[in-house]
Amino acid sequence: MSESNKKISLISSEGEAFEVSEAVAREFEIVAHMLEDGCSGSSIPITTVDSNILGKVIEYCTKHVEVGNVEGNSEKAEKDLEEFDKRFIAVEMNTLFSLILAANYLNVKGLLNIGCQKVADTIKDMKPEEVRSIFNIENDYTPAEEEVVRKENEWAFQP
Amino acid sequence: MTSNVRRKNKQSLIMSLPEDVIFDILARVPRCEYPTLSLVSKQLRSLVTSPEIYVRRSLLRVTEPCFYALFYDSRSRNCRWHIIHRKANGNRCLVLIQSLPPMNNVACFVAVDSRIYVFGGYDDHTKYYALSIDCRFHTVEHLPKMPVPMSNTIADIIDGRIYVIGDHYYDKSKKVMLVFNTETQLWELGTIKPNIEFGYSPPSSCVAMADKMYINDYHKSYVYEPKKSKWEKEEMLSSNKWRNACVVDNILYYYDYFRGHKLRTYDSKQRYWGTVKGLDLEELVPKRNPHWIDTVRSYSGKLALIFTYEGRTPYYLWSAEISLERRQGGEILGKVEWCDEVPVADNLLQVMRFLAVMV
Repeated sequence: MSESNKKISLISSEGEAFEVSEAVAREFEIVAHMLEDGCSGSSIPITTVDSNILGKVIEYCTKHVEVGNVEGNSEKAEKDLEEFDKRFIAVEMNTLFSLILAANYLNVKGLLNIGCQKVADTIKDMKPEEVRSIFNIENDYTPAEEEVVRKENEWAFQP
Repeated sequence: MTSNVRRKNKQSLIMSLPEDVIFDILARVPRCEYPTLSLVSKQLRSLVTSPEIYVRRSLLRVTEPCFYALFYDSRSRNCRWHIIHRKANGNRCLVLIQSLPPMNNVACFVAVDSRIYVFGGYDDHTKYYALSIDCRFHTVEHLPKMPVPMSNTIADIIDGRIYVIGDHYYDKSKKVMLVFNTETQLWELGTIKPNIEFGYSPPSSCVAMADKMYINDYHKSYVYEPKKSKWEKEEMLSSNKWRNACVVDNILYYYDYFRGHKLRTYDSKQRYWGTVKGLDLEELVPKRNPHWIDTVRSYSGKLALIFTYEGRTPYYLWSAEISLERRQGGEILGKVEWCDEVPVADNLLQVMRFLAVMV
């Protein structure tokens, strides 16, 4: 059954309703499954995602649905979308992690991919102490243990 | 200063993600960063040293080529594997892999994805030699021993099967071919007797191209077609003395140092020799007499070119990665992606083998 102009309300953890087209809602795989399982209600609670993040995920999905609907000139559209993704994911670390968590929970694969790639690109070329500080990780090695790990990977620590 | 580990109550950002997502992130980080990540915390170390991370790298198609060189070390009198490591500042250096044992240098070596297969030997201890090196973890796995003892081996892979050709250990005048199946990790039953007369010199090079094995013994080239179990001489291929060649997208490449510094190509379907255009290699490669020249198939349509030179250090390894583009009409255009000079420690006398592995 395709009802392209059917609207669905997604309810954030604060109870705020976001009205989106069914096509956009279906970009959330978790919602697509609910709809396929016969969940006929027009409002779906997304209890683990707050309004700020839900708004962003909807913005991402709306753009991707829009571009997917345009026929022809696919190379330019793809480039535009790439540019959009790049700008979209250039956010501070806390927001990035919230977006990844939301994309994982809602099963929005494209967003999860660009989110994980962004974190990976950030880690690249960082020193151990920088990685610890940016991600709030505690150094649980004793100096002796650290030396052992350093020895193990000697090949990578050449001056 | 005494070590003062700060306790933080705030939960770590990255570790608050589901494990599946953490793997997804870490798999996308270049593998050369894993040792650095291992130093961050115990948990990160256990993640980047787990087999799952490499499974995920394959699934995400983010594996990268990594260059390995087997050097003869005059101090230990052994052949040891070294890695060409790219440092954070972009420079490359040669580093011994401590965890890998000395290798038997007369064996043949075949790189398949993240593994290096090693077959054949030279004495009673090594005549059944068959092992594989897992380059993800730098560990060695012993394979079922060769069904026939062999020396002077050469090998390459077609469709998951490694064809190993060499002399029968007890009768050097007899050539034998064995097939190792990389899927089952077992030797296929029976041996293949090459029903062709090889020349006087032992076969020295072998490459797989378009589902056939091409073998060279300095004077002549031969071809074996497994599907038809057919051996033939390949006169056109014999017209150039190719050695240390590699195959990229079914074209053979070798570096012709003596006749104008050309990267020569051979198309086995057209039976046509050509040269890679768009490269001024004479200008690019160091102007000294090389000890050793090799070409290696890198990945995604590229090849690596390697020279070793005597120099001030006392010698060094020069390498370049070249991307290859096939134009209409069969012309092949080359572009140097990078080239770099790596100093070699004075105890490393000779490079025995150079390979590219995907990890």
